[in-house]
Amino acid sequence: MHDIADLERRGVVGAFVATVEFVDGADAQARALGAEPAAVFVEHPIQDRTDDEMRAIAEGAFEEILRSVTA
Amino acid sequence: MTTTRTVLDPTSELVPAGIPKVERPATIDGLRVGLLDITKPRGNVFLDRLQQLLEERGARVERFAKPTFTKPAPADLRYEISTKCDVVIEALAD
Amino acid sequence: MMAGVGTLLAVVKADCPTCTLVRPVLDRLDVEIVSEDDDAGLERSWHLGIDTVPTLIRLDDGGAEVERIVGWSREQWEAFTHVSPLGDELPPHRPGCGSKTQDPSLVDELRARFSGSVLRSRRVDLAELEDEHEAMFERGWTDGLPVVPPTEARVLRMLEGTTRAPDEVVALAPPDLVECTVEKVAVNAVMAGCRPEHLPVVLAAVEAACTSEFNMHGLLATTWFSGPLLIVDGPIAERIGMNSGINAMGQGNRANATIGRALQLTIRNVGGGKPGVVDRATLGWPGKYTFCFAERTDTNPWDTLAASRGVDGDAVTLFAAGGVQGVVDQLSRDPESLTRSFAACLRAVAHPKLVIAFDAVLVVSPEHARIYREAGWDRARLHAELAALLQVDGSDAVQGAGGIAEGLPAHLAGVTLPKFRDGGLLIAHAGGGAGLFSAIICGWASGDVGSSPVTVPIGT
Repeated sequence: MHDIADLERRGVVGAFVATVEFVDGADAQARALGAEPAAVFVEHPIQDRTDDEMRAIAEGAFEEILRSVTA
Repeated sequence: MTTTRTVLDPTSELVPAGIPKVERPATIDGLRVGLLDITKPRGNVFLDRLQQLLEERGARVERFAKPTFTKPAPADLRYEISTKCDVVIEALAD
Repeated sequence: MMAGVGTLLAVVKADCPTCTLVRPVLDRLDVEIVSEDDDAGLERSWHLGIDTVPTLIRLDDGGAEVERIVGWSREQWEAFTHVSPLGDELPPHRPGCGSKTQDPSLVDELRARFSGSVLRSRRVDLAELEDEHEAMFERGWTDGLPVVPPTEARVLRMLEGTTRAPDEVVALAPPDLVECTVEKVAVNAVMAGCRPEHLPVVLAAVEAACTSEFNMHGLLATTWFSGPLLIVDGPIAERIGMNSGINAMGQGNRANATIGRALQLTIRNVGGGKPGVVDRATLGWPGKYTFCFAERTDTNPWDTLAASRGVDGDAVTLFAAGGVQGVVDQLSRDPESLTRSFAACLRAVAHPKLVIAFDAVLVVSPEHARIYREAGWDRARLHAELAALLQVDGSDAVQGAGGIAEGLPAHLAGVTLPKFRDGGLLIAHAGGGAGLFSAIICGWASGDVGSSPVTVPIGT
């Protein structure tokens, strides 16, 4: 999240993707940074997923990711 | 108790307070999109598929990777991304 | 309750030997004890304006204060309370101690805590990891240079520099035409680095800038260079430490620097007039960060600029300034020759072939001013002589004349025109005592489509 906040400061449209496990952590970090970078959350866990499952997760999140970086 | 961390808004307050996000483009078609891999396992598969989907929509995708997910990206990398990309997506934190 | 005594209040604190001394006396009297050691008592003490403890206050039946005494004096207390004898086991008198509300390490916090509610601006909490200076930049609140973070304590302290109420509307700030209150000016004045005593000048400047004659909106939106120049007159200038002498238009003096800057920050932050968005100047100039100086009085051959424009005493004149042109004349010893130098240089304001459309300020420095003083030329004389020398022959000025496409419309070829419109040339006095240089400050489009200089009194 720090990276996206920094890149936004440099004028790059930014978003980050994390699993829902990360929601509270993201909240706390955003409050500490004073910035709320665009965030997209996907289902947890991901470590034990097959490649096909990972691709499906990417497809599932794609529209939301697009929305987070376009008007 | 008020602290030195609270300031008064000097503006007309017509817009919400807070750090404004960068203005979003109408579409990613034709834009340079950076994908920043935080290098946790499996993230690359996610990003590979994301890259395909973005390219189908007309984006020109470039891949970047952090040396470690435990720290913010090094300054050089952030600078590089800022010069090469209109949009950046960082993934995948768990 | 003793008849005729009203209600008695005693404000005390624990850490005060005199308060401890008079405790048995207070116990004997029918008096309400207000202790500065608890929050409610401290707040009450603040609002009562207590300097010294113990303070004994009499309130009438309506709760309004009638009178008060401070410290311990048997004679005084007996007369005040109509109770006698009082404290005859005590020494006859003993001075009090400083009230907690006067403790320098607490004053700002207390002011923010107890008077902070008068502030209406939105509070913005900076996040834990935000650097307080970066935070100002990131929110777009600066002019490119760092600003002082406007905390409640700082803004409240700034507001002590004016007698006006924080919620009083000073002007409608363009371009958004937002109500700009005294408080908002104070917030921006803090950011600019002003001291409280500078605030009245800033308030007057904001008021002047937002008039339709000055046309701040137009000034913001133009592609021309100009930004507001503030010329301050009156005893206030010296009192608040402004510079009218060496390097008067340059850097180094806090009052000059921050007062001009406060106006700019107020306009951009409250009015919304930011570069690139509303401000479209092609090149601009550094004077748009700040441009503010005071007229020098000791070497001034004339009345003040403000007085010549009908405003005596403390006053500020706003002028749409686009840049400074230095004028060298180290050889003229008589007013006629010097005036011809000035006229020759003034001819070039904006463009030698353009007339009437642009205003200017001629800042005559002390060494040049002496020539006029010794010759007995008053302001009117200098204006008249300049006007005579600045009659422009249309034939020289029309488009194409001199092989220059720019110029006046062709039909003016046979006409003689003044370089400046009536009232378009202002004459001011400032500068160090050494240097046979004066300055011409170019204006912007004059009159209805542009800006007219505006002079307003400076209040409190």
